[in-house]
Amino acid sequence: MQEQSLTVSSRNRRTLVAGVLMTLVIPATILFGVYFLGDRKYYFISLLIVLYSMLPFVLVFESRRPQARELLVVAVLAAIAVAGRAAFFMLPQFKPVAAIVIIAGVCCGAEAGFLVGAVAAFVSNFFFGQGPWTPWQMFCFGLIGFLAGILFKKGFLKKERLPLCLYGGLSTLFIYGGIIDLGSLLMFTPQFSWPALIAIYISGFWFNVVHAVATVFFLFVLSRPMIEKLDRIKIKYGLLEP
Amino acid sequence: MKDVFSTLHPVVTFTYFTAVLLFSMCFMHPVCLTVSLLCSFLYSVLLRGKKAIRFNLLYLLPLLLFMAVINPAFNHAGVTILFYLKNGNPVTLESILYGIAAAGMFGAVVLWFSCYNAVMTSDKFIYLFGRLIPALSLILSMALRFVPRYKAQIQVISIAQQGIGRDVSNGNILERARNGLQILSMMTTWALENAIETADSMKSRGYGLPGRTSFSIFRFDRRDKAVFGAMLLLMAAILTGAAAGFNTMRFFPSLKLLPPNAFSLGVYCAYLALGSLPVIIDTAEELKWKRIKSEL
Amino acid sequence: MEAYQIRALSFAYPLREKLALKNINLIVKQGEFVTICGKSGSGKSTLLRHLKTVLTPHGTKEGEIYFYGRPLAESGRRAQAARIGFVLQSPDNQIVTDKVWHELAFGLESLGFDNKTIRLRVAEMASFFGIQTWFGKDVAELSGGQKQLLNLASIMAMQASILVLDEPTSQLDPIAAEDFLGTVKKINRELGTTIIMTEHRLEGVLPMSDRVVVMDEGEIIVHDTPRRAGEQLKEMNHDIFLAMPSPMQIYAGVDSTLPCPVTVQEGRQWLDDLPIDNKALREAPGAQCRREPALRTEAGVPPVIQLQEVWFKYARDLPDAVKDLSLEVERGQLYCIVGGNGTGKTTALSIVGGILKPYRGRVRISGRDLRKMSGQERAANQPALLPQNPQLLFVKKTVELDLYEMLAGKQLSKEEKEQKVGDVCALAELEGLLQMHPYDLSGGEQQRAALAKVLLLEPQILLLDEPTKGLDGHFKSKLAGLLKKLAALDVTVLMVSHDIEFCARYADVCALFFDGGIITQNTPRAFFSGNSFYTTAANRMARHIFPAAVTIEDVIEACRNNL
Repeated sequence: MQEQSLTVSSRNRRTLVAGVLMTLVIPATILFGVYFLGDRKYYFISLLIVLYSMLPFVLVFESRRPQARELLVVAVLAAIAVAGRAAFFMLPQFKPVAAIVIIAGVCCGAEAGFLVGAVAAFVSNFFFGQGPWTPWQMFCFGLIGFLAGILFKKGFLKKERLPLCLYGGLSTLFIYGGIIDLGSLLMFTPQFSWPALIAIYISGFWFNVVHAVATVFFLFVLSRPMIEKLDRIKIKYGLLEP
Repeated sequence: MKDVFSTLHPVVTFTYFTAVLLFSMCFMHPVCLTVSLLCSFLYSVLLRGKKAIRFNLLYLLPLLLFMAVINPAFNHAGVTILFYLKNGNPVTLESILYGIAAAGMFGAVVLWFSCYNAVMTSDKFIYLFGRLIPALSLILSMALRFVPRYKAQIQVISIAQQGIGRDVSNGNILERARNGLQILSMMTTWALENAIETADSMKSRGYGLPGRTSFSIFRFDRRDKAVFGAMLLLMAAILTGAAAGFNTMRFFPSLKLLPPNAFSLGVYCAYLALGSLPVIIDTAEELKWKRIKSEL
Repeated sequence: MEAYQIRALSFAYPLREKLALKNINLIVKQGEFVTICGKSGSGKSTLLRHLKTVLTPHGTKEGEIYFYGRPLAESGRRAQAARIGFVLQSPDNQIVTDKVWHELAFGLESLGFDNKTIRLRVAEMASFFGIQTWFGKDVAELSGGQKQLLNLASIMAMQASILVLDEPTSQLDPIAAEDFLGTVKKINRELGTTIIMTEHRLEGVLPMSDRVVVMDEGEIIVHDTPRRAGEQLKEMNHDIFLAMPSPMQIYAGVDSTLPCPVTVQEGRQWLDDLPIDNKALREAPGAQCRREPALRTEAGVPPVIQLQEVWFKYARDLPDAVKDLSLEVERGQLYCIVGGNGTGKTTALSIVGGILKPYRGRVRISGRDLRKMSGQERAANQPALLPQNPQLLFVKKTVELDLYEMLAGKQLSKEEKEQKVGDVCALAELEGLLQMHPYDLSGGEQQRAALAKVLLLEPQILLLDEPTKGLDGHFKSKLAGLLKKLAALDVTVLMVSHDIEFCARYADVCALFFDGGIITQNTPRAFFSGNSFYTTAANRMARHIFPAAVTIEDVIEACRNNL
């Protein structure tokens, strides 16, 4: 009962922060960008919006002072997502990040899903190099995990292979591929234009398809054992207890 | 030459990189771009030596050329039409120049980030955000410890698998993928189960008590103050220039640059000074050492 | 002052009828060094975890625990976090952050100290422990022993007045373990910190302890000074003696009215005081022990494992890990390689297993080069390697599934598979554990389950890497029995180990590994009686009277024959 009210109040706070951001800060940013940034406005406005959208998660997570075991679950899963690549050293381009983020979202909730995704992207860039792409990647993987958690809670997504694979494939192809490509387009063009966007989508298409196929493959094989492991650990950690 | 700039307080280095990155992304004036590109190139070579030169020439240069070419193919704004493409779209002088400028900007950003990665090590980042977002920065610290540990464990597991006759590096793609998944799955169990003891160790050492503080080994000393002060002054000068419109140029619909004057030259010098600050500090330190050595 | 007073404590885990702790009554005084011993599963860890509220497991509890005169639960989390330090088994798992300095400060951050205080405390501790040189390092750069010292230091920085240690050296090699225990003793002696620890490497710990608590089946059966505990256990004739130091075991096997010796030094004194007929000994030194057969070499039959002048290094620029190594193992032998840490023992094992390829020299299995065999032949001849950490082999969620997983690729009928798994379970005594998750097993049980997995490959050659690491005396004798059974099936076993006592007792051949190669090899008795330092505690204790007695049984037998 107490747990329930806690999550409700934290969700309310997240909604509140999100509300303030959407009604005040984001329009202000857009106005500022339009008037002062000239040719760079698209890039900076989008970048700032990406950063703002991660803010509510950060604030809510910090303000409810999470327990040691919650921190560990997020850190362990994010590290697995990053280090997991080493198990496929003989197969380049096979990245399990999205699959593990989705499993985290489904098993541990939307918030954990978001955090695992964002932390995994950030940590992986400590090893491969931070760059202007870091916030975009954090946002995309975070969003994939968050949506997985929400959809699972609403009953649209089940802990079964097929729906997970479907969601995994679509989300990596459209959310990840779509937003990352948009970000890199805005990085170096002065104006947003549809033909340019379509061109960059076409040029990045096969790359994104490989990524999506890898995610589907991982989810197909890994989802069941991973979910079993996480459910077991949730009992062993006492994550289900108040 | 050993880098001294990275021994400055994280607040100083982080502010520095934030400033140069934002400036590089915003200021599309040819002089600004050249200055930024040059300074970032110099510092990256100073930090990473020959490897940086090879990376810059081998990977970065072709990428930039590609970007410079791709822009006019899709961007048809601008008034100075040079010729028409086969599909009937015009190629303009403005869009070609913008492509070159954007490529230069992107190059500078990538180079500055490569310096950032060498200077802003994870512990500095965690220090900066440890007070602001304590739980997340602890997650970050843990994840950074786990990643190398897990990679090592993957190695150990794959050796153990070979020891019972399962060669992981042989076979066709499907077999390899299956072996990889097996190893990943084993590593996951191992990681999750062993993390329970980590949680115990955290609880046992009082994690979760109210009023947690954040310890650091960094101290903001007089040298940091001096450098930080100089940096702020230079940044103020540059921003004044930006407000006056000296740091950007208009590409579309037609090219427009403010004519240079004494003030704008001063702003560009400030930008150059800011960009080459690490190199200047490192060189000064090197000279000081030479002097001390010769006095001995 | 009583640090802890435990009154009639009983505890049961949820959904289990058997009590994990039965009516425990115990008083620990301020500044005492108390060692708790017992077989694994006797409730030692459960008892220790009751000493700190945040670590207490869920379950039904009766009885009271008082901490400095007040119920433990009443002293708040903050006081407990600072005053009761807890060191757990695994050096790696306890470390939270990625930098040594951050780890040292972790507990102090939780307690909310300011930067200045933390700086001072951390500096103090680093200097006390002599770890100031690692201060700026990444945790990943440290060795296992260093990591465990770091854990200890980061707890002591919180100024703990009680230190609880749960088998802290079980994952360390002997030298690092010695170091660690020395530091614990130093803390006890110089800071007056109360120490409560469980440990199965009792040789080093018992002489330091003020009192010993022996537990069995959740009960305290003996609680006294080490010497008197030994005497009481002798009277009870309890099998916990397998875990006691060699002098105490020898004492238990010989009739005498002298006080129980605890250290090797006391053991020598004790032997001198025994009424032994010295004249007969002087006339025929070494004749007091059973003779063992000389090293056999069957003419004409190639050895099962043969290494000829093998050289190996991990990378071109690195130094050689294995140098000029030659080695021959006969069929059905138990061949033990002993030697210090980092001498290349494990590397040598991987070379025999065909995992690492030497850059010079030959490796032959049953007279033929592994690399020149066809796939099928290779599979039949390939040695199977049991890694140091048995967890590396577990894949599935129950032991049973894990065992069947080994047979997955084989063309066998269901009955055949069941037969094979049943056989191997009987051999490794896994009945009753089949439905458990492999990670829920104790260390010894994990070892046996992993061994069972490996045995399903039906290897002719078995390679074992430190198989006794972290096992208590009871599990070690079980492992020895298992190896005997395998030898009877003509399986050749090559193992590397730090465990001299185990090798001396059970090996057919012992070899000393040093600096990348084998220095000497012989039958255990000839091998160990020829060494002066690198030999068993029993031999060190008795060599001035019975030079050829190597194992505890040897000494006991020799004593009995000459009394």
